[in-house]
Amino acid sequence: MPSPTVQLEKVRKSYDHFVAVDDLSFQIPPGTIYGLLGPNGAGKTSTLRMMIGITVPDAGQVRLFGEPFQRGHLRRVGYLPEERGLYKKMKVLEQLVFLGEIRGLSARDAAARARRWCERLDLAAWMPKKVEELSKGMQQKVQFIAALLHEPALIMMDEPFAGLDPVNATLLKDVLLEQKQAGRTILFSTHRMDQVERMCDSICLINRGRQVLEGEIKQIKGRWGRNNVHIEYEGDGSFLRSNGLIQSFNDYGNYVEVRLAPGADAQQLLHQVSAGAKVYKFEMVEPSLEQIFIDVVGKTDA
Amino acid sequence: MRNVWLVIQREYLEKVRTKAFIFTTMFIPAVMGLSIFLPTKMATMKSSKVTHIAVVASSQATGDAIRSQLAERSQDIGGKYAVDVDLTATEAEHAALAAKVKSGELDGFLWATDDALAARSVTYTARNVSDFFEGVALQAAVTMARMQLRLTAHGIGPDETKDLMQKVSVKVETGEKKASGEFMFIFTFILGAMLFTTVLVYGISVMRSVLEEKNSRVMEVLLSALTPKELMAGKIIGVAAVGLTQIAIWAALGAVLGGPYALAASQVLKGVSIPPATLVFFAVFFLLGYLLYSSMYAALGALVNTDQEGQQLQIVVMGPLLFAYLMMFGVLRQPNSALAFWLSLVPFFAPLLMYMRIMVQPPPAWQVALSIALLIATIYGMVSLCARIYRIGILMYGKRPTLPEIWKWLKYA
Repeated sequence: MPSPTVQLEKVRKSYDHFVAVDDLSFQIPPGTIYGLLGPNGAGKTSTLRMMIGITVPDAGQVRLFGEPFQRGHLRRVGYLPEERGLYKKMKVLEQLVFLGEIRGLSARDAAARARRWCERLDLAAWMPKKVEELSKGMQQKVQFIAALLHEPALIMMDEPFAGLDPVNATLLKDVLLEQKQAGRTILFSTHRMDQVERMCDSICLINRGRQVLEGEIKQIKGRWGRNNVHIEYEGDGSFLRSNGLIQSFNDYGNYVEVRLAPGADAQQLLHQVSAGAKVYKFEMVEPSLEQIFIDVVGKTDA
Repeated sequence: MRNVWLVIQREYLEKVRTKAFIFTTMFIPAVMGLSIFLPTKMATMKSSKVTHIAVVASSQATGDAIRSQLAERSQDIGGKYAVDVDLTATEAEHAALAAKVKSGELDGFLWATDDALAARSVTYTARNVSDFFEGVALQAAVTMARMQLRLTAHGIGPDETKDLMQKVSVKVETGEKKASGEFMFIFTFILGAMLFTTVLVYGISVMRSVLEEKNSRVMEVLLSALTPKELMAGKIIGVAAVGLTQIAIWAALGAVLGGPYALAASQVLKGVSIPPATLVFFAVFFLLGYLLYSSMYAALGALVNTDQEGQQLQIVVMGPLLFAYLMMFGVLRQPNSALAFWLSLVPFFAPLLMYMRIMVQPPPAWQVALSIALLIATIYGMVSLCARIYRIGILMYGKRPTLPEIWKWLKYA
């Protein structure tokens, strides 16, 4: 079995008055997409910074490509920071060439690759423009290209889809899936769990610097079981109130997402609903990552 | 090394292409040129003017002496004088002359009677009394005329009188060099002035450049490929190169436009040869001083979060340079004192003080070598220090670190 592309072992990082990352361990096998998820301030960016050598862990170890971290590894890493990671006054193409060069490309190679990418991502016309003239979404695409220009084996992205419209988000998603096909390893860090849930093979959920949940998405969801019911109906909705079978629900009018109480029988609920209303849909679904997260965090916080 | 070079290149090209750079490069020489050209023009315009004055004296000889003295000074004054000699020194005449001045018939009158001369107090009444040069010339003319009259009265001929009134020039020579001390130390002041202005302008520029990166996430991208030291070194050298480019352009412009003046000046300084070492050391100390102070500004940029904070703390960086500038006079007078020796070895003062010593009274070569070595070592140390502050400073957004915190950072990582 090949050694994991990324491996964190009991990593800890504290700043003056608080612990940003505490006892964090996970590993990312080569050629997979991994999600580092958690709310704002959970310690995601602090974790990424230790992985690109901006900071050093207080304890524990970061290993890349099977070896303890060293700066030489960075040539094989592409990093996309959370917004504003570009020189505003610099022209798009020149900027990409510079960022490619400091990662070891020759000026010519960097320029050729930058042109190819800009064409692919609809930025060709913007190459001679200054970055500050571009919209936020376009800047994000430039940033994205900068992270991929040197064909890194490991791609780390901090909130990659922030500020993108659906068309561009799909475009970048396709590019990333292509990169995965080419054998590259991808690490996402985001608080928008719904955006990456379908792309990731495995995830690590963190909250307040601590690992809450880790593993393959399929397994995690399997462990949680199908205790969610989506119901589409017409008629009497009174079954939602004071019902021992229901733990919580999200009402959208004629559509409701219900979370069953532990040990409740879904069949019993179906009977109740159909007694007073016309049922168009009654589906048992896996919980979303967000729900799982709220579930776990709620429990640990209590 | 390649990385440093890439950063230098980027920094240089980006800065040189800005409108601000092009503007200041063109604008400042234009202002300087005008400020030299216009006054000269105004002075020469005045020379065609004739100032009509009356000299009230007790004898014709006194009046003639003052007239000839004024004629000799017409160049300094920038104009010719038409002088009427008036021998009626009465109060009525005074009033009459005053009326003529008021009506514009006369430009002014000089009340230089024997009594007034004896009392060494002569009055000049005129409409325009603001011309400083005119006042100085009048005073000199009257003083000289008085001296001439007195000498003639003692039987000394006019030629001898003239000769006696010439200045005696004192040339100062050191053993080896054929140059006056007066002339040599001027170089140090030029160096100081250049260093001061360049550091002030481009130091801020380095500081801003560091700040800009720190406040955006560019630095995260950069640090995932470069070491902070490479980044800082590249930045400092890159911006320094921009400053040097500007100076070079100005020097070239100056040489082209000011060529005739420079030639004229070299005529005046004829016989004084500038040893090449003077210029070599000038370049060395300017460059090293510039890099040292730029790197201090870079450290400042790494430390603060906003431009305003940086500008407030500027004095901390400029302090040593200011101090060195003030100490130059002390070193000039006693270049071999223990104080001068120690001060000129301190890297922050060395660019000015060691250069001053070399100019005034060359110290032993080992001292010069030591101060240059210390300077280079300090610049390197400063870059490392900046890199360290930068690297740790970026983790603290929005809050200015306290001194104990800075100390903690420096020990860390």
